[in-house]
Amino acid sequence: MVTQFKRGQKARLSDLTLGTDLYVGVRIAGPGMVFDISCFGLDAAEQLSDDRYFVFYNQPASPEGSLQLLGAQAGDTESFRVTLDRVPEAIDRLAFTATIDGEGTMSQAAPGYLRIVAGGEEVARYSFDGSEFSSERALMIGDFYRKDGWRFAAVGQGFDGGLAALLRHFGGEVEEDEPEPEPLGAAPGFAPPGFAPPGGQPPAPPTFAPPGGAAPPPSPAAPAAPQPPMPAPSAAPVAPPAPPAPHVQPPVQPPGQPPQPPPLSAGQPSGPPPFGQQPPPGPGQAQLPPIPRGTGDLVGVLDKYRAADAGERWSLQNPQLVRADLGLDGQPVMARQGAMVLYEGDVEFGFKGGGFKRRMVAGATGEGFPSLMRCTGNGRVYLAEDATRLFPVELQGDAICVSSQHVLAFDESLSYDVRRIDGHGLPGGSLFALQFSGHGTLVLTTHGEPLVLPVTAMTFADANALVAWSSGAQVLVANQVRLRRHAYPGDTGESTQLQFRGAPGNFVIVQPYEI
Amino acid sequence: MDQRMTAGYAPTAPAARMENHGPTMASVALRTGQDLLARAGSMVAYEGYVQYESNPSAVGRAVAGRLTGESVPLMRCHGDGQLYLADYGAHVLCLPLNGQNVSVNATNVLAFDAHLEWGVQRVKGIAKFAGQGLFNLGISGDGWVAITSRGTPVVVDCGRSGGETYVDPDALVAWSTGLEVRGKRSFKASSLIGRGSGEAYQLGFSGQGFVIVQPSEDSTERLSGAQN
Repeated sequence: MVTQFKRGQKARLSDLTLGTDLYVGVRIAGPGMVFDISCFGLDAAEQLSDDRYFVFYNQPASPEGSLQLLGAQAGDTESFRVTLDRVPEAIDRLAFTATIDGEGTMSQAAPGYLRIVAGGEEVARYSFDGSEFSSERALMIGDFYRKDGWRFAAVGQGFDGGLAALLRHFGGEVEEDEPEPEPLGAAPGFAPPGFAPPGGQPPAPPTFAPPGGAAPPPSPAAPAAPQPPMPAPSAAPVAPPAPPAPHVQPPVQPPGQPPQPPPLSAGQPSGPPPFGQQPPPGPGQAQLPPIPRGTGDLVGVLDKYRAADAGERWSLQNPQLVRADLGLDGQPVMARQGAMVLYEGDVEFGFKGGGFKRRMVAGATGEGFPSLMRCTGNGRVYLAEDATRLFPVELQGDAICVSSQHVLAFDESLSYDVRRIDGHGLPGGSLFALQFSGHGTLVLTTHGEPLVLPVTAMTFADANALVAWSSGAQVLVANQVRLRRHAYPGDTGESTQLQFRGAPGNFVIVQPYEI
Repeated sequence: MDQRMTAGYAPTAPAARMENHGPTMASVALRTGQDLLARAGSMVAYEGYVQYESNPSAVGRAVAGRLTGESVPLMRCHGDGQLYLADYGAHVLCLPLNGQNVSVNATNVLAFDAHLEWGVQRVKGIAKFAGQGLFNLGISGDGWVAITSRGTPVVVDCGRSGGETYVDPDALVAWSTGLEVRGKRSFKASSLIGRGSGEAYQLGFSGQGFVIVQPSEDSTERLSGAQN
């Protein structure tokens, strides 16, 4: 449902949409007029205290990417992607403005609008018309602002003067040594903002100095430094900034943009053009907006998954992977065979059998007893199993029984023994559990998020979903023989459960998955 | 229906060639002339005008591992639109390459830009131990690669502690190709007696770079036909 806004109307964004990843499209046009649409990220005092949050044609994204200029889209003169939950706390207001580049006044503008699209659906639209204005040359269209969460206000206020005057109004500073409308005049020389430099330094906006005022104008050498080999860099940017002439000439290429003509490999004479260059569309094909090359680099993407540098003896790297640092106290770790995915340093793995006595308990073949390996040495071992969720339990002198297939790894300091629970209806005739006791850490595996259930007078669990229980609880096999008329072959009818009884404080761990 | 219930799962306007839609789906913006090679059958949805060419002959050079008979069939996707890819709920990572080289385990490749340089690499060292091939795609250039991981992956920097980093080949997803790789047998021969294949072979990595591993030893494809 589209909410139509009138001039001055305000609304809570959460009433319009629950999404925080918004698309904001602005349509404004007029005969023979060119508009620049910008977004100002203002602080609580409505000042542009950080000029990196002035998103316009020369700076198509804010540093963390919460504000992105997307360029012209279907029906929209200019569009933005706004990820509200990523906007820094210091930014209190996002003001969307339109300024006229060149001749004309706002009164000549044709009917336009600002629309908010969330999740592919338009949720709000503020329409305006040139007849509402007179000789203004800029327009503050609408604001997102924080007041108990984000709100939207349809402002619709005209403003005398162009982009430079608007920037001064918000506390930004336009460089003194430049003629005022300079940035606008220089605009066509730039690559369209859609081809934003990926993650690189934002192209130093030549229009204004940092708002501190005291800072010197951007060093002319700075923008040239991160540039890849640039075709024929003119001497202009290196010249001292005193004469206005060098500033009129924008650099041929914004910094960070990939080199223009990439060398085509010999094997691909007609290789597809790289990103940043829109290939000529075929006849009859709809012209889609170009895709930005994207922000972020490989290191940034991988950082999210990077293993922690240092940690405790047992540290979960993510919900499915645990790291044991053997070097911290030199104590060996026992792990299920095959659980090691990676190790660093000097680690030795030894085979550890169940031992004769334990095998006797578990059955002559040792069935039900996991094959363990002993990891010794001075290094770090990463353990995981089938992407199951891991659940570290630290024992401090108490004891726990674990269904044998749910043991991933444990400290060798823990003592353990096999317990066998017999009962008709149990899978395989009996259930094997390992009882651990002592001081140390034990890592369990569970399929999905486990449930830790306190033991009461009437606590039952499915033997197939059972992961572990505190050893103080008594386990009873509860058979409910039920003869159903319509029983199908293989129907178990959930007739066998395990009942747990024990003093308060005992617990059962169950997984949302029946093996 | 209350649209707000489902609004959180709607696609967002594409801001990059490849993006994650949730942890297990990749969303790829396709444009004419910017083709994509994707694992055959990985498409779950698409918008716009997209065509698929299954296993074209040019791709066949690739992944048909003639030595083992295993193969990862690729399809070429071209057109204009938005393409959604997934692989049975595996975690998806979209990696932007800016001239870097990565080597990705063939079974963990989901998609990559067709203009990237790529080729099949046979990993040295491991084959002669295990009697099974480990095939990797070496990918380099300037573009995007989507890889899958069974479970949340972990990135480990090599050369951090000076020593080598050893990886279970079944858990290996990808590595930066600057690393030196060699096979290693870590168990003492005596400890191998009386048990099947366990953690017997690893790949040792040395040098500066990263290794991506998955928390699962999802090796059904590679182990089929192996001794045990």
